[in-house]
Amino acid sequence: MAQSTAQNFEVDFWKDAELRKVWDEIIPGAPRKTQPYTLTLEAIQKYCRVVGDMHPLYFDEEYASNSPYKGLIAPPGIHILLMFACTPNDDWMRTPGTVNAGQSWSYNKPARPGDVIRLEARALDKFIKKDRLFVVHDNVFFNQDNEVICSGRGWTIRPM
Amino acid sequence: MNNAFDTIKTGMNIQGTPFLPTRESIREFCEASLDFNPLHLDDEYMKGSFGKTSFGGIIMHGMNNFGIINKMLTDWAYPLGGMHRRLETRWKVPVKPGDTICPSAVVTATKKTKKSRWVTLDVDVKNQRGEVVAVGEAMIEFPEAV
Repeated sequence: MAQSTAQNFEVDFWKDAELRKVWDEIIPGAPRKTQPYTLTLEAIQKYCRVVGDMHPLYFDEEYASNSPYKGLIAPPGIHILLMFACTPNDDWMRTPGTVNAGQSWSYNKPARPGDVIRLEARALDKFIKKDRLFVVHDNVFFNQDNEVICSGRGWTIRPM
Repeated sequence: MNNAFDTIKTGMNIQGTPFLPTRESIREFCEASLDFNPLHLDDEYMKGSFGKTSFGGIIMHGMNNFGIINKMLTDWAYPLGGMHRRLETRWKVPVKPGDTICPSAVVTATKKTKKSRWVTLDVDVKNQRGEVVAVGEAMIEFPEAV
């Protein structure tokens, strides 16, 4: 386990599972509790390697410095890590059996190594479709300068 | 002034890089994304029923698809001076260890707005049987000055 990614993260999603809200208790519009996360170069590069994205903007400091980005950045999909990194252990996003049905993300500014990331998040909607319980979650990630990095929505199917 | 935008036409195809998920790569995705949902770790748990769905074993994270689509789009956009601005996806078929998946995209439109230039694309990911496992839409911006 790369400590630089985990930062004391509880990897057993069953632990404290009973503390998390079930579909009936999730209130659309209610904010989710979140936690700040310091994004490291190691965590960015670990994510990149796992999805097979070895672009020099994420690995080669000299190349990145001479690019329009003026330094190393994270790939757009880094929100995949940030979502769980900024979600505390008792949040329903971590409920075992949560199935991801789809997501949409808009990218504004790239995240960079050393950024202290803040998430503002809420449940936006919930509905029943084809005998399944859906919740839509709504998320915005900010950097330490309060600039929007990216914003997105996810459709999850809740465990019965 | 970047002229690459003017060379982009509706119907243009983009091919991504094949990706071969394994039990190890799925475990590594758990560690890199901090998503340790047992859907991706626990075969015993995955023998159970999920409403109407039965998976029969661990599945790859849907967001791993998202990551390989992101890579296809940035690999295409960066050399042209484009910026990956949006991606929306829906998962259609679970991906399992041993599958081979590959993203592709087709340009659906180009549009000039008051202050910038945009390309919209349809994206999908297919497995080795030709089944579409993910579909979506994307936007790339081509600012006039980068």
